[in-house]
Amino acid sequence: MEYVLNQLINGICQGAIYALMAIGYSTIVGVVGMVTFTYGEIMMIGAYGAFYIFLSCGNNILLGLLMSFGCSFVLCIAVYKLCYERFFNAPRHISLLCTIGFSMLIKNLAQIVFGPETKSMLNIIPNRIFTLHLGSVAVDFRLLQIVIMLLVVFLALMLTFFFNRTRAGIALRAVSQNKDAAYLVGINVRRTALLGNCIGCGFGGIAGCLLAIYYINFQSYTFGSFSMKAFSASVLGGLVDLRMSALGGLCLGIIENLGITVSSATFRDVFAFGFLILMLIIRPQGFAVKKGTRV
Amino acid sequence: MSRMLDISNLTVYYGYVNALSDVSIHVDEGEIITLIGSNGAGKTTTLMAVSGLVEKAGGTVSYRGQDITKMHADRIVKLGIAHVPEGRKIFPQLTVYENLVAGTFGKPGITKQQIADLADQCYELFPRLKERMTQAGGSLSGGEQQMLAIARGLMMDPQLIMLDEPSLGLAPIVVEEIFELIGRIRDAGKTVLLIEQNASVALQIADRGYVLETGRVSLTGTGSELLSNPEVKRAYLGV
Repeated sequence: MEYVLNQLINGICQGAIYALMAIGYSTIVGVVGMVTFTYGEIMMIGAYGAFYIFLSCGNNILLGLLMSFGCSFVLCIAVYKLCYERFFNAPRHISLLCTIGFSMLIKNLAQIVFGPETKSMLNIIPNRIFTLHLGSVAVDFRLLQIVIMLLVVFLALMLTFFFNRTRAGIALRAVSQNKDAAYLVGINVRRTALLGNCIGCGFGGIAGCLLAIYYINFQSYTFGSFSMKAFSASVLGGLVDLRMSALGGLCLGIIENLGITVSSATFRDVFAFGFLILMLIIRPQGFAVKKGTRV
Repeated sequence: MSRMLDISNLTVYYGYVNALSDVSIHVDEGEIITLIGSNGAGKTTTLMAVSGLVEKAGGTVSYRGQDITKMHADRIVKLGIAHVPEGRKIFPQLTVYENLVAGTFGKPGITKQQIADLADQCYELFPRLKERMTQAGGSLSGGEQQMLAIARGLMMDPQLIMLDEPSLGLAPIVVEEIFELIGRIRDAGKTVLLIEQNASVALQIADRGYVLETGRVSLTGTGSELLSNPEVKRAYLGV
């Protein structure tokens, strides 16, 4: 019982990071209108950015997160200019293939520039454990987990505020729903799409940094499988619905961690993707209920 | 009356297909101008060319003496030309109010107070929208969506509003309502460029009209002239 509860806490924490990745991913898919395959590398750059900040400026978590947001933001401008903007009116699969190629390029460049070895991020957040006694059961919370969860909730709330309350946010949503109509109301669609894309990637970068902190170490190629998790979570949420994508991410995290309590940790991905397939058989549209569509 | 919009010798190709050739149209301030013509005559293409959504192969478009032929779509909107597209194209998942706010993106410096005032004006024209303020745009009925599309166009406080088939697929009584409204929009000091399949109603309220046929202007005249023209009667009014 105790073990299961602790795994649940682990699952929620990991799910929170997945949720953050999925939110970023869905934002990108929403404004650009197609899936991207560079997301893993975006997260990777975020992690490296934070790593070098921690190395040079000490364990300043805030500075590290800002740096990972910034690095991903900048890389994303390059992705947008190279893979999307040049092919705005071309068939969609061209951009798609272009993101795959760009992802390989960045991954391998990173190995050359940063080196192939494992980088470790030790003790960024002090390893303190709080124990909550529920009757006879003791549940452990690590400080790290609490910080991650609070941070994800905070970022999600900020993004919700941005999307629903600010003019730039409404413009972004307008672009993601109908690009032609967005032109007609005077939105600079390209610039808005670029901004949305970069914000999404910035969130991906922060998620990458959090993953590296959570797992203590990372390599340049670890993020490939995490980008698949982001994609799955986003698919679970119907690809463009931010709230549902976050829910999808949370579900994946919890299911993975509960799954490995009854089996071994090597089966982690089996549970995640098994859940995805099952879910899509039952509800092909994901969790999302599209409001405003008349059937 | 000053010249507002001047389209001269406009030519547009879609691939190899010649959609418009040598179309010349002008709109004066305060007028209601209508373009009529059968399907595929180039009415919608003309409007899209004005608002910069299609590439022009030749000819010029100028607005109040300023050449806008090569200008980007979002900049053209900022000059004060609102385009209410065919098939409404509202934002289905934004609420009615957010759709209206989206209409003001053409005016970057607009204040909250101005947005509220403009929205109030729209609610006066369309009381139905006020009732549905917080509902998603896509959940409205067809007629309400059309009203929302027009209201969104009016939110940018345009000098010239171009309406592309506002009566498409609407019940006759709603169509009447929409045309009454077009009259009111003109009375509010705006210029209207209207595309209609419903030629008889459109010509009744229009100051002048142009008849387009396979990408060319075949006839032009005042609304009543065209209404009594035997060719128009035969081809578009069915009498």
